Amino acid sequence: MRLDVVGKNILRVDALSKVTGKALYPEDIYMENMLYGKTLRSKVPHAYIRVDTSKAERIDGVIKIFTHKDVPKNEYGVVLKDHEVFCSQKVRRIGDPIAFVVAKDLKTCHLALENIRVEYEEIEGVFDPIEAMKDDAPKVHGDSNIIYHFKIRKGDIKEGFKNSHVIVENTYKTHMVDHAFLQPESGVSFIDEEGRITVIVATQYPHYDREEIASALNMPEESVRVINANVGGAFGGREDISLQIHLALATKELNRPVKTVYSREESFIAHAKRHPMIMKYKTGADRDGKLLALEAEIIGDSGAYASWAMNVLRKSGVHASGPYEIPNVKVDSIAVYTNNPFTGAMRGFGATQVPIAYEQQMDILAEKLGLDPISIRLKNMFRKGSVTATGQVLTESVPLQECLERVVERMDFPRREEAY
Amino acid sequence: MKKRGRGIGLAFYGTGYGNGFPDVSRARIRLLDDGKVGIYVGSTEVGQGAKTVLMQIGAEALKLDVEEIVFITEDTSLTPDAGTAAASRQTYNTGNAVKIACENFIERLKEIAKEELNLNSSYGLKVEAGNIFLDFFPQKKISFKELSKSYGSGNIEADGEFVAQTIMMDPETGQGAPYWPYTFNACGIELVVDTLTGLVEIERAVFAQDVGRAVNPHLVEGQMDGGFAMALGYILFEDLNLKDGKIYNNKFSKYLIPTAMDTIKVENIIVEDPESTAPYGAKGIGEPVMIPVGPAILNAIYDAIGVRITELPVTPERLIKAIQEDNERKEEI
Repeated sequence: MRLDVVGKNILRVDALSKVTGKALYPEDIYMENMLYGKTLRSKVPHAYIRVDTSKAERIDGVIKIFTHKDVPKNEYGVVLKDHEVFCSQKVRRIGDPIAFVVAKDLKTCHLALENIRVEYEEIEGVFDPIEAMKDDAPKVHGDSNIIYHFKIRKGDIKEGFKNSHVIVENTYKTHMVDHAFLQPESGVSFIDEEGRITVIVATQYPHYDREEIASALNMPEESVRVINANVGGAFGGREDISLQIHLALATKELNRPVKTVYSREESFIAHAKRHPMIMKYKTGADRDGKLLALEAEIIGDSGAYASWAMNVLRKSGVHASGPYEIPNVKVDSIAVYTNNPFTGAMRGFGATQVPIAYEQQMDILAEKLGLDPISIRLKNMFRKGSVTATGQVLTESVPLQECLERVVERMDFPRREEAY
Repeated sequence: MKKRGRGIGLAFYGTGYGNGFPDVSRARIRLLDDGKVGIYVGSTEVGQGAKTVLMQIGAEALKLDVEEIVFITEDTSLTPDAGTAAASRQTYNTGNAVKIACENFIERLKEIAKEELNLNSSYGLKVEAGNIFLDFFPQKKISFKELSKSYGSGNIEADGEFVAQTIMMDPETGQGAPYWPYTFNACGIELVVDTLTGLVEIERAVFAQDVGRAVNPHLVEGQMDGGFAMALGYILFEDLNLKDGKIYNNKFSKYLIPTAMDTIKVENIIVEDPESTAPYGAKGIGEPVMIPVGPAILNAIYDAIGVRITELPVTPERLIKAIQEDNERKEEI
């Protein structure tokens, strides 16, 4: 195939504006008659709340304080609508939004935040997903903390382990991390020349934001416009709604531009995190190092909201057996609510955690069998025509062996290809 | 004592929303003023290079210089929905939508050229470098510029839509085809562990990534360098210090991420094996590039000191503790 443009190192179209500082981020935008908004967030992880804004409202320069009472449809969420725009009765994590102060300047916003009275009637929280799965655990939403359970059942693992020469069992734990994108959340809302509620934001999916804003405000989507400014990194951390609905609501009510900028500290508690996972693995191989069976139980901590929990744990489950052909596979991956910060999308989306387990299992098996790490992988890896644990045939473009061989070629790993 | 080790990590990664969920990207192509072509697509440039890559795919399909293309992504009132900039799906899914829209646009141009040039058929018309013409009688030719002039800006347009093919898995057995396509990679790490301080120093990283086809090799390498650095932070540095639901490390003075001082020059190897369902064979690599690095580091740490790390992150304190616990276990035996 002759290609003229694909395959060429064309300079990024956004490079010049970014390296010269000309690229505009929402924080750089100022409009005439603009107000400032600031979010009041929960300070405790699990409590019933009563909110009194009357004192704060009397402060000179405070224009309006929005709470759940002001939102036509007080819910949103990428899959389950389990977030409230502002908590109405209960907070489920530290950082849950309770109110949004709009004032003439930032100083007034801060003063108003200090003067909103929140009475917290604290309830016992649950912070360990294994504890949260128990029947008597405090419930974050509804009457069970288990959000999702994904299963793979392929072949017969009992038979597979029975025929295995070596079996390796371990539990691996990964932790919660932040996307640490450069630009904290910020946005400006206004009414455009056609009367549309317009929000300038840095997002991963402007059309989704528009849908959520329209739904919460009970407006047709055509009356809402999202302008995506430059985005200072995302990595999954800008998939859930943060300040979009707050800003749109304020502009709709007040008919004036409103701006919000999160500090780094607020950004840390505002957006989703990477799912911590507890991964219990059992892997068996025959005398030659051929994998015969893999059993994995993966428990993912979704924190206080589901966000992408189902999709993330599903992706963990599908990728749990690694890029290897294994005849007998049993996988259970489970997503659980806790009162931790909520977790969601982050680069790799559940497939980043599982290799921490399956790839260490491979090395441990190799050592027990007297094989080197490269040989055991070559004996088991996906090639063109391989069938995955979910029964999918990899019909083309499977250059895994080439990837491995090209790394090994440069790094000179010590080899031992025959088992003891 | 300083101990050296080497480790390998392999991974695979499925693209897209997956599991039969409708994964749709749309694009619109318009002839603008002065023969320029506008590509309208609601896909976000998050820094991954979507704008550049999609523009290259469009330029290739239209056989046009990138300078002749105006690329608009930023406004929901102007662009069709191209799905989220996530799931490593923009190059593959939206790339396909842009390519299909461009092909439809070319067909539209040929129909118009047939009328304008008084031809019996649009058959055999070629579109290249902003001209629509017949190879075997080049006098029959009309340019994009001429069409802009007579039809006005934005009046010749075509849409394209791409819907990815995945199959929902059975809820009891997980059997199905949840993602397509998959990408593959391998990472080799050589590092030194200081058993006294618990510090891990990465000395060498060799990283091979399957990309189907690289639309822009420099951007692929940029992603690989970034994925490597992000994995380095994940495995060795980053710790929210979360207790009872509270994040104590909520600023960059406490939440440590790698700086240029911590990273190294990664030896990137781009492996090409074009995927027939992808635009010019290109698969998405935004996420996979971080995945094999972590296990390679952990396997290299074991190779160096003979201690298996089963809990992240491997901060110096944790590593020292793991070494001590391992020594105690060995003494007991």
